[in-house]
Amino acid sequence: MSFDILWFAFHILIFPGLLFIVVMGVLLMGINNKMVARMQNRVGPPILQPWYDFLKCCGKETIIPRRAQKFVFIGAPILGFAVLITAALFIPFGGSSVLSSTGDIVVILYLLTFCSVMSIVGAAASGSPYAGVGLSREMVAMIAYELPFVLVLLAVGKLAGSDSAQGVTFSLATITEWQTAHLPVICHISMIPAAIAMLFVIPCEIGMHPFDIAEAETELCEGTLTEYSGAPLGVYKLTHCVKVYVMTALFTALFMGGITTGMVVVDVLIKILVCLVVTFLSMTLPHAVCARFKVEQVFKFYWTFVSALALISLVLVWIGL
Amino acid sequence: MFQKMIDDSMKRSPWIFHINAGSCNGCDIELVSVLTPRYDAERFGFRLTGSPRQADIVVVSGPITLQSRDRMIRTLAQVPEPFCVVSLGSCPRSGNVFKGSYAIDGPLEKWTHVDVSVGGCTPKPEAIIAALAKASAILEEKRKAMRQADKADKEKRS
Repeated sequence: MSFDILWFAFHILIFPGLLFIVVMGVLLMGINNKMVARMQNRVGPPILQPWYDFLKCCGKETIIPRRAQKFVFIGAPILGFAVLITAALFIPFGGSSVLSSTGDIVVILYLLTFCSVMSIVGAAASGSPYAGVGLSREMVAMIAYELPFVLVLLAVGKLAGSDSAQGVTFSLATITEWQTAHLPVICHISMIPAAIAMLFVIPCEIGMHPFDIAEAETELCEGTLTEYSGAPLGVYKLTHCVKVYVMTALFTALFMGGITTGMVVVDVLIKILVCLVVTFLSMTLPHAVCARFKVEQVFKFYWTFVSALALISLVLVWIGL
Repeated sequence: MFQKMIDDSMKRSPWIFHINAGSCNGCDIELVSVLTPRYDAERFGFRLTGSPRQADIVVVSGPITLQSRDRMIRTLAQVPEPFCVVSLGSCPRSGNVFKGSYAIDGPLEKWTHVDVSVGGCTPKPEAIIAALAKASAILEEKRKAMRQADKADKEKRS
């Protein structure tokens, strides 16, 4: 009995829980920065740079502005980080996930939104006008990517739920099983537009460079993070890294899950490789190629082009292709 | 051990905030060129931030005009400890060609501690990188000193 609890604690805290998630997030972010630098013919920062940034932030003085709501100002980044780790526990990564239910996808969607809302709440509590503009932009970005994101999830759920009685599944375990029985979702021609749409959703959800309208440092003094300093800022930066892992792991679970060799270590290595490829396609390429988009450009792009791609997949799946 | 790791990372990720105190834009352009792919200061972890709250190294350029003086002092007061101030170019150190003007109130030393000073009108990007590297080493020293002062303070109380 106590062994079970220990095993569960091991899953939550070490693998595939907190420690693994943070390490993967930092590594993916560092490798992404390095690849961007190499594409621009630079040497680039060391791969552990996000980790150094976090440690440095911990060593700095934390200033709480007089106008800020102290409790919310400090609580928001911590709650956002905790919520994101919880979301990551629902995603299977080479083997089964730590937590699972019949509505995994809804829970993950809700927790990811909650994490973004926490950065909005923190910015609103800081009482800075720059943060105010930043949070309004963050909201626009959320509305922009949420629609294609939900459409993609529905398309995958419909395809993987075609065997079951309900017709649509919201359980990642069912999706993984379906992919083991049939081919991975990405091998179905009708799902390729949805995969491309998901690749576009990832950088906006994370707030990576061409879509980082909320944290535009040159226009908005870091936007939502204007008043943050010291350890809370470090937690925000770490949340940013963990989001990279969560989104790429979600992509692999949705589109390339269910590939098993029988050995957990090999499975995890394959997944890490897929995560790296997804990071390169969805984050490094746009970062190295594009300049930052304007607010209305992001909104228009997601509600026309990306949503249309996701919708094509949804319609194709619905009529049974 | 954790504290030592923090000390070490202090010099690996210094974020720069740039204050223009009436500069002619020459030094500003050279500072930005340091961060471009040609000189690539990001390989040492330098990053330009937009907010003084997140800065570790504050770079001041320009001869401190009367108009910009109060704003500069207010911005420097918002930077969390420990931080370094780098004076960029000849203007903040001596006033350069503007020396003796009624409109300037320099040098920079009058208003804040200056840790590293780069001369030149304008300084070369290589010189700026060297100064920033020196400043980040000083940053680590400052953090260590801060920690020891904290420790001594605690012992005194107990």
